[in-house]
Amino acid sequence: MPTLRDLRIRIKGVQSTQKITSAMKMVAASRLKRAQESIVNARPYARKVFEMLNHLVIESDRLNNPLILKREVLKVALVVVTSDRGLCGAFNTNILREANNFIKNECEANSIVPSIFCVGRKSYDFFKKRPYPIVNYISGIFGKLKFENALTISNFLVTNYLKGDFDEVVIIYNEFKSVIQQKVVRETFLPIPFEYKKEVELKADNYIFEPDKIMIFERMLQKHLRAHIWRILLESNAAEFGARMTAMDNATTNAKELIRVLKLNYNKARQAAITKELLEVVSGANALRAN
Amino acid sequence: MIKLNLEIITPSKIAFKSEVKSVTLPGVKGAFQVLKDHAMLISLLDIGIIKIVTLENNELYFACGGGSAEVLDNKLLVLVESLESQDEIEVDRAQKACERAKERLKAALSNKEIDLDRANVALTRALNRLKLITNKF
Repeated sequence: MPTLRDLRIRIKGVQSTQKITSAMKMVAASRLKRAQESIVNARPYARKVFEMLNHLVIESDRLNNPLILKREVLKVALVVVTSDRGLCGAFNTNILREANNFIKNECEANSIVPSIFCVGRKSYDFFKKRPYPIVNYISGIFGKLKFENALTISNFLVTNYLKGDFDEVVIIYNEFKSVIQQKVVRETFLPIPFEYKKEVELKADNYIFEPDKIMIFERMLQKHLRAHIWRILLESNAAEFGARMTAMDNATTNAKELIRVLKLNYNKARQAAITKELLEVVSGANALRAN
Repeated sequence: MIKLNLEIITPSKIAFKSEVKSVTLPGVKGAFQVLKDHAMLISLLDIGIIKIVTLENNELYFACGGGSAEVLDNKLLVLVESLESQDEIEVDRAQKACERAKERLKAALSNKEIDLDRANVALTRALNRLKLITNKF
């Protein structure tokens, strides 16, 4: 049975934790609003660039572009996008579990060598203790996302892909579905996965191209790769704030419940102590009177 | 009656979406105009000025960063890096950006570390903005 003093200290501790979690929730909520806005606005651009590229590719797949051509996969680069900071529920755990499963089931089972590209500190912390080579590591970009960040990442991946350092690039990230929902997504970044459609193929011959197919195609490819990474960074950023907000909201509710139980125990203990004291006084008085 | 449907999308928002009469775009090989029933086309766009004639015959002008455009079945899709209307551009800022770009360009000639292409693009962009607000186009 804890003493009154112990309980009082405990209640104070939980109360200050509750204050912190609710403050973190507020911060996440306000940041979430901006992050959500930017991802919702960025999605159509990324989608349309890819769509336009899809209209071109039938004509241009004859060009045998190395960014589209599938090759035999011996080495895979795995880009793992997590947050820099914790306290956001299962956000990072889900990503890292998916990454681990992918390495175990798809890479090691087919004797493919995975190399890891860590985006966010949490994924670096996870993989530096593991035997897989880390080819690159970027952190601290999520506070203030810049388009240059997407550029750096996409340039690194494309250069090394073309050099033959890896035959496939796979990205694992959290997609922002709603404030309370994140979805772990695994996407092939390179070679670019095009959908081949018959109707598009028929149309593609009739397009007027200005200045010419090849130039448009290369420019659009570059645009697509950058827009793709940019979208992923924004998705992950918004998802992180959403996850943190929900996690902190849960923590605050739990703290509230904990405080309620502790207060009940405290009052019970307080009342027991008063009753005990009263009993002592009364029985003391009775003893005196009997004499 | 079928009308030309214009949609302009930038990385940060859907900037324009409506039916229009005609659109003039800055193609890399020179400006061109799109009316309804235009043939299928995919084109790269330069930094320049987009002119839109609305159904009410109003003329709208925007400064755009480079991008691409596609015409398909009376749908004109324009993907540009940036889009600014005349009201959105601040004269001071544009002028300062122009000065900065000029200085950078000068420095780039002697200093190899500065990216000449980037300085050039920055200057073109700044000049394009100024062109739009001063109505010299």
